Amino acid sequence: MARILSPTVLLGIAPIVLIVALWQGLVSFGFAPAVLLPPPGFVFSRLLQQLVTWTFQQEIVATLIRLFAGFAIAVVLGVSIGVAAAASPAINAVVRPIVRVLAPLPKVALYPALLLLLGFGHGSKITLVTADALFPILLSTYYGASTVEQKLIWSAMAAGTRRTEILFKVVLPAAMPAILTGCRIGLVISCIVVFLAEMITSTDGLGHALVTAARTFQAVDMFVPLITISLLGLILNALLGALRSYLLRGFPEA
Amino acid sequence: MTAVPARSSEWVRPVTLPEPASAIIEIDRVSQVFQTSARKDHVALSDISLTIEEGAFVSILGPSGCGKSTLLYIVGGFVSPTSGAAKMKGQVITGPGPDRGPVFQEFALFPWKTVLGNVMYGPRQQGVRAAEAEAQSRALIEMVGLKGYENFYPKELSGGMKQRVALARTLAYHPEVLLMDEPFGALDAHTRTRLQNDLLNIWERDRKTVLFVTHSVDEAVFLSDKVVMMSKSPGRIRAVIDIDLPRPRRRTELLLDPRYQKHVVDIERMFDESDEAGPSL
Amino acid sequence: MMSPAALTRRAAPVLACIGLLAVWQIASLVLKNDSFPTAMEAIRAIPDILGDKESLINILASLRRMALGFAVAVLISIPLGLLMGRSRSVAAFFNPLLMVVYPVPKAALMPIIMLWLGVGDITKTLVIFLGVSLPVIYHSFEGAKAVEEKMLWSGAAMGLSPAQRLVRIVLPAALPEILTGCRTGLVLALITMITSEMIARQSGAGNILFNALDMGQYDTVFAMIIIVGAMGICFDAIFERVRARLVRWSEPQFDMPLSFS
Repeated sequence: MARILSPTVLLGIAPIVLIVALWQGLVSFGFAPAVLLPPPGFVFSRLLQQLVTWTFQQEIVATLIRLFAGFAIAVVLGVSIGVAAAASPAINAVVRPIVRVLAPLPKVALYPALLLLLGFGHGSKITLVTADALFPILLSTYYGASTVEQKLIWSAMAAGTRRTEILFKVVLPAAMPAILTGCRIGLVISCIVVFLAEMITSTDGLGHALVTAARTFQAVDMFVPLITISLLGLILNALLGALRSYLLRGFPEA
Repeated sequence: MTAVPARSSEWVRPVTLPEPASAIIEIDRVSQVFQTSARKDHVALSDISLTIEEGAFVSILGPSGCGKSTLLYIVGGFVSPTSGAAKMKGQVITGPGPDRGPVFQEFALFPWKTVLGNVMYGPRQQGVRAAEAEAQSRALIEMVGLKGYENFYPKELSGGMKQRVALARTLAYHPEVLLMDEPFGALDAHTRTRLQNDLLNIWERDRKTVLFVTHSVDEAVFLSDKVVMMSKSPGRIRAVIDIDLPRPRRRTELLLDPRYQKHVVDIERMFDESDEAGPSL
Repeated sequence: MMSPAALTRRAAPVLACIGLLAVWQIASLVLKNDSFPTAMEAIRAIPDILGDKESLINILASLRRMALGFAVAVLISIPLGLLMGRSRSVAAFFNPLLMVVYPVPKAALMPIIMLWLGVGDITKTLVIFLGVSLPVIYHSFEGAKAVEEKMLWSGAAMGLSPAQRLVRIVLPAALPEILTGCRTGLVLALITMITSEMIARQSGAGNILFNALDMGQYDTVFAMIIIVGAMGICFDAIFERVRARLVRWSEPQFDMPLSFS
């Protein structure tokens, strides 16, 4: 208990408590009408209430399907292109300028085009998630794979590893910390992007729930999906963090 | 403890018998040129020829930047020479192979594998069955003095322990030649001395050929049968010195041995001369 | 005089653009989809948008908000990040809060903030500010944390006060990392701007996109995508120039953009 409530932790909780207190204060002392700013207790009880309803769960599932599909495709594409670009100078010469051009491009601007090409269903949203999550994963993989300690590769080659095996036996494991860092960034981006895409146009999902609430000025119901997606982001991030520290247990500073 | 051999007996017993030693590695007129920038070439090695006999402990000694590590990498097959060739048992070396095992200053252990996993990597790669590879590896780990650390990750070990693991990992696939690239260069003086002793003890058992790169004069003299002195810019062989000291060698005895002292002083004088010739940067 | 290698490196992004447009052109010709104009058609529609006074004013207003949001965010985030990097308690105070805020989709706050502050410039600028702050704080924090302790000791020995050390040692030493954060922030500012305008559907570049979509003016949609894409690429390229100039002294950075956190 003493360890959990260390001064550092208390110091960290302080601003969060302060913000919630300020929020509560604004409502209690009548600075903000509850219609515009529902009190925190009300928002969280509404959140718990919603979480057990079937309709809200369906929204979560719709969002999660798009999130995971888009993210998974991004991981597969990002890792393979990143490793290929690090391994082959020819592929690198092609990939590098394309990535240079596409990485800083605001992918969300492509969304209208995706809607036209892939329709308003899952396809366009999954593609948008993939497009956004792809580059951090690709770039970290490329970075990790091209900075693998040369002498690790030499050691493996001297032990009789064939050139074709080096990729899987040395380069990928050695690049794993960088790859997982990229995945972590990509995952949070996926959460954000899927939600925004659903807000811009959708018939279901958490983002859609927020927009529906906004149209009818239901402030409480606007907070609920927003908090849900943020919690999902935090939980997924923590899960990936746990996976990361398991996979990288041998690496220093993992 | 054996006493310091009396002076008379030293002359009676020839130390390194000129056995019918066969050449295991031949380096034939090897040059290595790196392009450092668009305008300038750096000649790391210039026309090096050297023959290394089977079972010999040969050190390559020189200042940093003389290309001694590059020469080792060429023998390892990690780097191809710009011209000339290195041969292993008469075959031109075209790439790395398990007949030549490297031990690097940076240890280069696989961080995602435990000590046991690292040592087993080579035998498994050679197709040795898991159980057998494990038994051999455990024995090797014990030999390098790390019994009890089999399931540790490299990050949990000190520098000296990491280098012991690296040595065991290389010995595990039975290379005919050990290529040691300043293996003790990153260690503190005390650990360094202990590892030198342990390396000699391990080497005494099967007397594998060792090519040992170092910039420490007394390390080279203490360990080797032969010291190849290199000078830099361009990297050339300056002298090859036979170290006719008896084996098994003990550090405490050698330090008092005038022949050891003479070798060290002679070599250092030669380096001083080349330094006085002017800064060769 | 440029060497052939340098020339290729310069030309490669341009070639990549041409290549991507060519792929688009071929894809649209093959698909023959009414709602998928060819690259040429889209490019031909660009002058119409930029020639239209209302659209132009809209786009410029968007850019002005973006510049303001970005500038304010950078001015606040860099000092905060540096302080967090050099003081354990400041870091302990802000870190959990930032961690909680990290996965919140900033542009999604648009409808809620609109509820409080209306649909004016303040709301849109505030959302951009929120979007930019986090990466800049994070990178300034990491940069300041990594500053060599001995460098600060040397500074203290020369008689610099803690505040002077922060400005004259920590800031320049962390500059490469700070600029990486700013570069990410700049791209995020553009993304947040477009997204929030798509959500609010009031005015601005994002709104033009969806209005054209609703009205079935598909070549305008794609022309607008090219304009927004070009903005992103140009901002990034210009910023990269500035960055390279400011931190000439530092180790050459990895030559692909690396940060999107």
